[in-house]
Amino acid sequence: MTAAAPLFSESYRPAFAEFVANRREPDAIARLRREAFDRFQTLGWPTRQQEAWRLTDLSALQTIAWRQPADALVEAGALPTLEGPTHRLVFVNGRFAPGLSRLPKLPDGALITSLGQALTTHLERIEPYLDRLPGLERHPFAALNTAFWEDGAFVYLPCGTVVEEPIHLVFYAAGSDVTVHPRLLLALEGNAQATVVVEYRGQGRYLNVPLAELALGTGAVLHYHQIQEEAPQAFHLGAIRVRQARDSVANLHLLSLGGQLARADLDVLLDGEDAQCALNGLTLARDQQYGDYHVRVEHAQPHGASEQRFKSVLDGKARSVFDGMIHVRPGAQKTDARQTSRNLLLSKQAQAQANPRLEILADDVKCGHGSTTGFLDPDAEFYLRARGIPATQARALLVHAFANDNLNQIRLTPLRERLARLLAARLALDLAEGK
Amino acid sequence: MLEIRNLHVTVEDREILKGIDLTIRPGETHAIMGPNGSGKSTLANVIAGRDGYTVTEGEIRFDGKNLLEMDPETRACEGLFLAFQYPVEIPGVANLYFLKAAVNAVRKYRGEPPVDAMDFWDLVHERMELVKMDESMLKRSVNEGFSGGEKKRNEVFQMAVLQPRFAVLDETDSGLDIDALKVVADGVNALRNPERGFLVITHYQRLLDYIVPDHVHVLVNGKIARSGGKELALELEAQGYALYNEEPGRARRAAA
Ligand SMILES: Nc1ncnc2c1ncn2[C@@H]1O[C@H](COP(=O)(O)OP(=O)(O)O)[C@@H](O)[C@H]1O
Ligand SMILES: [Mg+2]
Repeated sequence: MTAAAPLFSESYRPAFAEFVANRREPDAIARLRREAFDRFQTLGWPTRQQEAWRLTDLSALQTIAWRQPADALVEAGALPTLEGPTHRLVFVNGRFAPGLSRLPKLPDGALITSLGQALTTHLERIEPYLDRLPGLERHPFAALNTAFWEDGAFVYLPCGTVVEEPIHLVFYAAGSDVTVHPRLLLALEGNAQATVVVEYRGQGRYLNVPLAELALGTGAVLHYHQIQEEAPQAFHLGAIRVRQARDSVANLHLLSLGGQLARADLDVLLDGEDAQCALNGLTLARDQQYGDYHVRVEHAQPHGASEQRFKSVLDGKARSVFDGMIHVRPGAQKTDARQTSRNLLLSKQAQAQANPRLEILADDVKCGHGSTTGFLDPDAEFYLRARGIPATQARALLVHAFANDNLNQIRLTPLRERLARLLAARLALDLAEGK
Repeated sequence: MLEIRNLHVTVEDREILKGIDLTIRPGETHAIMGPNGSGKSTLANVIAGRDGYTVTEGEIRFDGKNLLEMDPETRACEGLFLAFQYPVEIPGVANLYFLKAAVNAVRKYRGEPPVDAMDFWDLVHERMELVKMDESMLKRSVNEGFSGGEKKRNEVFQMAVLQPRFAVLDETDSGLDIDALKVVADGVNALRNPERGFLVITHYQRLLDYIVPDHVHVLVNGKIARSGGKELALELEAQGYALYNEEPGRARRAAA
């Protein structure tokens, strides 16, 4: 597509009309797009008068005439890899790149494929889930994604299917003033298990508006990892919806490193008894970077357990926001819900803001939250230096120690090790020297 | 090897050390005794290079070099060691990792390659036995959740691994039972040799039964009130610090 219609002006409507006119897809999908587009129009572009967007300054995006991206060529070397066997799907500017993807044989009935392609082959598998999960109803960018997504990944595992190899989904964006809307739809039927690694990368100044929908059936287990390493000038406004049935377990690891402005909204619904979720988030930001997590965990049924552990390390004039809600519905007795936000400031100009929110409508629950923000401990720094360790290395060691227990939660070894190296490089800490 | 001349130090504009003179030669062990608040830790911290202390007069030379111009890590790399009165807990940094980083930092400073993994392991094991420390401690975070005794033992262990040329021990005996005290003393005594100097700061004479000093100094109210041989420690044990404890402030207030 070569259309250069600016998306953020009065001309949303022609841009959308042109976009849908060029697509041949089932009526049901076209209808979802129209509904989502109407929703986006009704919600409008967020303003800081809205509570949910009070702290997120989007003015830098609004001065740019965003366009639909052209096709881009990407060197395979620019894409992240995971050691060991993987199922790998690569999307460039939201479009499936089969040449860069690799799909080993799957168990019967399982699907790991392009969502766009699956529309024609497996619509009956997609329809029950696509845009059907609750949550993020008032999130304009989730609506925008549904209106404009071109392609994305579709992962479907039937009952009892366990895929051992990680499912590696790479979303690469390239271009100048372009906006991309990649989609992920993941459905695990009862007792299915999957490990997913989503990576966002790119080049240039672009706006990435991804939406991931994760549906876990009874007893399903998902290990989901998301590494946001967008280009330095990029904007990332992502959203994740999770619905968990009884006895399901969702472990989400979210790492945010890139972009000049990155926000992810997560909405998790524990919709069955004994469902468990762990949200483990780490933001590293420096210079003028802004990193933001808005999280809502809703306990709808009894005996659910949720844990939100979010950390940020901020240098320069970087800022981070963590806004985390625990909502316990009246019937959700014996809920155990925890939340912590810990922020480490490496400079006097850095700023972290944490807004814990609790809405507890059941009486027999355990809920806890805590938040800390502080500088490096000068006593610890002196202790290390007094043993001969140079100041910069001492500081790097302490930052590493702060961030590392989040990384240590990741059980996927090749990823954990890659991220540990990344963290070390970012902290200019020579692990080889000390280890 | 350590020469302190007319050292005056203020903390937040209050003079804490009021003219200290002290010379320690290679092979010597000096003890500093004194009541709480007399400035013992201040002296130790100034030697190690901690922030927050202002030297208003005087100097400290280490092997002839101006110590006060060096940052703390350079002092450590030059062979200085401080066993902290209050060792710091560092969650998330494993003891072994920390020690190796320290050993390699010193080696790098001397222009030596990083330590060989096997050699390091052997050294660590040998020194661990010296202070009767459990191997599990190596994997734990530095001082995190350690008992008071374990922390002090860890200080001596680090000293034994780093093998400094000059070590200051700031009340390493405080809070130790007699067995732990002996372990700490054995660790120090094992390192004593004709090239190495020690400054042992203590509140009690007890430690000096095990680490027998060549010289004892009594620090009172920021000044060395008296210096002598090891017998001075016994004298203090018998008489306490009362003899020296003429706080000029109190005296003035009383006179007014
Ligand atoms: N960092 C500091 N900030 C404020 N006061 C200090 C500090 N360090 C020492 N002091 C003060 O200096 C005096 C001497 O303290 P210190 O050197 O710790 O004595 P000692 O180790 O002999 O007990 C005390 O009055 C103490 O309160
Ligand atoms: Mg003291």
